Amino acid sequence: MKRLFKVDYLSRVEGETGITAEIQDGEVTVRAGVFEAPRFFESFLRGRHYSDIADFTARICGICPVAYQMSAIHAIERIFGIEVEEPIRELRRLLYCGEWIESHALHIYLLQGPDFYGAESAWSKKDYLPIAKRGLSLKKLGNRILALLGGRPIHPVSVKVGGFSKLPQKKSLLSIVPDIEDAFVESLREVERAARLQFQDHAMDMECVSLCTPREYPMNHGNVISNRGINTPMAGFLSMVRESQVRHSTALHSKIWKDGRESPYLVGPISRVNLNAEKLPEEITTTIKKCGISLPIMNTRMGIIARSIELSYALHEAMRIIRAYEAPSGPSVRFEPREGEATWITEAPRGILIHRYGLDHEGYVKDCTLIPPTSQNLAQMEIDLHDFIQIHIDKSVDFLKKESEKIVRSYDPCISCSVHLVVLEGNKHVKTPYGVRGGIA
Amino acid sequence: MKRPRIGIFKFTSCDGCQVSVLNLEEELLELLGLFQVAYFREATDRPLRGHLDIALVEGSISTERQRSHVIEVRERTRHLITIGACATSGGLQALRNWASIEDYKKAVYPSPEMIETLPCSTPISDHVYVDYELWGCPINSDELSETIASFLLDKRPGIPGYSLCMECKRKGVPCLLVVKSEPCLGPVTRAGCGVLCPALERPCYGCFGPKEGANIDSLLNVFRKAGLSDHDCALLLDKMNTYSYRKARSREGLQ
Repeated sequence: MKRLFKVDYLSRVEGETGITAEIQDGEVTVRAGVFEAPRFFESFLRGRHYSDIADFTARICGICPVAYQMSAIHAIERIFGIEVEEPIRELRRLLYCGEWIESHALHIYLLQGPDFYGAESAWSKKDYLPIAKRGLSLKKLGNRILALLGGRPIHPVSVKVGGFSKLPQKKSLLSIVPDIEDAFVESLREVERAARLQFQDHAMDMECVSLCTPREYPMNHGNVISNRGINTPMAGFLSMVRESQVRHSTALHSKIWKDGRESPYLVGPISRVNLNAEKLPEEITTTIKKCGISLPIMNTRMGIIARSIELSYALHEAMRIIRAYEAPSGPSVRFEPREGEATWITEAPRGILIHRYGLDHEGYVKDCTLIPPTSQNLAQMEIDLHDFIQIHIDKSVDFLKKESEKIVRSYDPCISCSVHLVVLEGNKHVKTPYGVRGGIA
Repeated sequence: MKRPRIGIFKFTSCDGCQVSVLNLEEELLELLGLFQVAYFREATDRPLRGHLDIALVEGSISTERQRSHVIEVRERTRHLITIGACATSGGLQALRNWASIEDYKKAVYPSPEMIETLPCSTPISDHVYVDYELWGCPINSDELSETIASFLLDKRPGIPGYSLCMECKRKGVPCLLVVKSEPCLGPVTRAGCGVLCPALERPCYGCFGPKEGANIDSLLNVFRKAGLSDHDCALLLDKMNTYSYRKARSREGLQ
């Protein structure tokens, strides 16, 4: 007997995506398809000046524009050999904290949260409204940090190659500290609440990948590491990634290519928490222990716990940065453009975001590669869905459909991001200087 | 009284303008009390049924499927309002309109013949009648509340169509064009952002698109005198509102 179910347009995720599952003679085939329209960023970035890159790539995603600005700016600064002063480095980290807070709050309270309460949206049930309100106020705080540094929360405008266009006043930064303090205390309670939610038992043996630096919880710097022994500088990781095309999706699927085999991997809050837990401040680790969260987290459904931990961390880190901030000698450093190529990876709210640029001697883009976190998670997500349906093969289609949607949502996929890369039906493997791209998976 | 039904739709875009709706934060919950949210895929599971009093549309039209979908949305809707640069002017992805789409595909993809996409990315108003357009990349949340409130009060939204310079002067921000000879698009760009860039000592890069009756060529002459090449000038306009700036320029040329 053949059973088929389809979710055409998944709600409460960013962008347009669907799921198709086919069950025939006990065999399950799952396809998580992305059908968002292609936007050709990698094409129209060619020939553009380096000063446009951060503004352009920010427009890939309205939820994580800072991530795109950060990966781009750092890659370009590497090509030009620019070293920014410590306070600039810290302000960029603060900007990233704002984005983590805003993005995580959106996902925890407005997108995924309703799933745990059987609600169709954050405002459809009276009981859920207080939770939605808490989420909105956290989100607002993240947005305030972003606006303070970059003028506005979505597509902020002050970041540029070499530093910032203008620095914030310490006074205005300090003005939000009391609110962040309160939110931090509240956020520890939110971690406890997340830990009390009901999760399906679904531990998986998976490869978690994130940045790692001895100095701090990773955002803009570090090597790429995994729980299966990867430890490589950023550029090295790009050559390990193999992007393949699948028939059903307008986004590429990325896998790690190692010892002649390709394997899926997971990026994002779960991976970061698993690989960097020792760098979390004491208040947070105490809370983690107190509410019995066992690390590493190997159940992808528990993404909401990892996200809550990071939301709390980002608040803590924002306070630390603001209190320690001393203005640098100037908002940006002087530099001369030069020819070159570089890869940089930063930790977007949803996981590592890989950018590679080749620039000519005047600083115009020759070519570029952008690999967003969601396309790196797609392969893992399909396995997850497959395993789930295989176990619950006798259940009703309605149940499978609903639960599959929840699984996809727990990954916090960002579809607008994943699809600047298009996949097509075809059978070719194309060799690029940076690994192999193409082919049907 | 029955609450008016509102729907929020997305075509080709970054989601940022829909997120601006969620960024209304406390106002959002008040808004939800005044309307019935009939469709908002980003935030609720509810499928689209029946007619709408007001539709907020994000994103440009860039595939065949979207072309028929936007017609369907129009047919169901009393007032259709576009939100943001993509829906109002084609967005950053409209840069493909000035290139060969085949070259674009070939540049990145192994099997270009399989990509289903239209050769151009176009604003909603190229396809259906639009009742009101909100500019910006992203839109300004205050302008969004003003527009929605105006709908309820049955009045025209009080959103200015004049240039950014007006706002800039009122705020007393030093003019980057005059004082530093920087290529600022302020004189030809709509006000609405609240003078973000000039206040952060950065020239305007045109998030809010051309103001009505903008004299773009005259501004470009000023840029040329300051040492910019024709190519540099063209690149300045070819950003999130490339389609509208180019249209405004050619209209100017005809007069």
